[in-house]
Amino acid sequence: MKRSNEKIKVILASRPKMLSDVIRNMVEHQQDMEVIGEVLDPIELLIAAKEIPVDVVIITPLKADGKPRICFKLLEEHPFLKILILSAEGKTAVLYQSNIPAIHIEKPSVQAIFQTIRKSIQ
Amino acid sequence: MKDLIQIFIADDNGLLREGLVSMMEEQEDIVVIGQAPSGREALEDIKSVRPEVALIDIGMPDKDGIELTRILRQDAPEVKVIILGMIDLTDEIMQCIEAGAAGYVLKETSFDHLVKVIRSVHRGEAFCSPQMAASLFTRIAELANERMPKIPPGSVKLTARELEVITLISEGLSNKQIAQRLFIETQTVKNHVHNILDKLQLQNRLEAVQYARERNLLKKEK
Repeated sequence: MKRSNEKIKVILASRPKMLSDVIRNMVEHQQDMEVIGEVLDPIELLIAAKEIPVDVVIITPLKADGKPRICFKLLEEHPFLKILILSAEGKTAVLYQSNIPAIHIEKPSVQAIFQTIRKSIQ
Repeated sequence: MKDLIQIFIADDNGLLREGLVSMMEEQEDIVVIGQAPSGREALEDIKSVRPEVALIDIGMPDKDGIELTRILRQDAPEVKVIILGMIDLTDEIMQCIEAGAAGYVLKETSFDHLVKVIRSVHRGEAFCSPQMAASLFTRIAELANERMPKIPPGSVKLTARELEVITLISEGLSNKQIAQRLFIETQTVKNHVHNILDKLQLQNRLEAVQYARERNLLKKEK
């Protein structure tokens, strides 16, 4: 459970760069969220998640078919972590959490994505 | 509104499109006057709102970015198109340039870079990244190579009879007249002409005469 004045800490692992910039901008426009890091590959992500206290990881894999393998590893090591997988073409968004069924976000708009993240953190 | 760069964004990735619109609107000199999730909608809207610069995703459903650019060059030539591509492929970049795009930007580049390209294209400059420049040079070299004579000078040997035939063609004689002059059948003259064009890889008799004249191959009248 987060304190009400504490911001939700987000790490971005998104590609292509333009999409990553867009997501960063969207997060920075949320008053209760902040981007604390940006990584380029899964190894960097695993290291960052270990070293920095993070609440949410947003990943945009080039191929979004099923749950990326890195989710299992991350959730195993950090059971309170929320992982949002956004397909690179922006058509699907799924939030993965430990021991809770995945949440599929229909028509992933900015608002829908951040509301889902907030609900999962509360 | 007058001093702002009016842009249009067409991309089927709703999140990216929404995000780009929002970030563009934070720029002091840019205003987004329209957006579309598909090629067909983009075409209709761009023709209607006439932006100064259109950002068009290369891989949209129903009408891709290259096709859309080609149509816009005809129907709205004043709109400067910047294609947003995913991969750095020479063929793809060349197709965009040939379709009339003023710029090609990889989505792997940053938002700041995209804004710089928009400003540069709006000023009337064609944006050319190092990758695009390399593609252009390659293509120009290919075109130059295609225009070079396929037969190196001196590598083709015409027979004495063929040179006689070309000389008579250069004097304006028809096949029949050449046949009479050389005491051979008209069909034989036709065969000689065919062989000459084939050897020199030329299209017609005039080109053959020009070829022979440039190389001083025409026989002088005695």
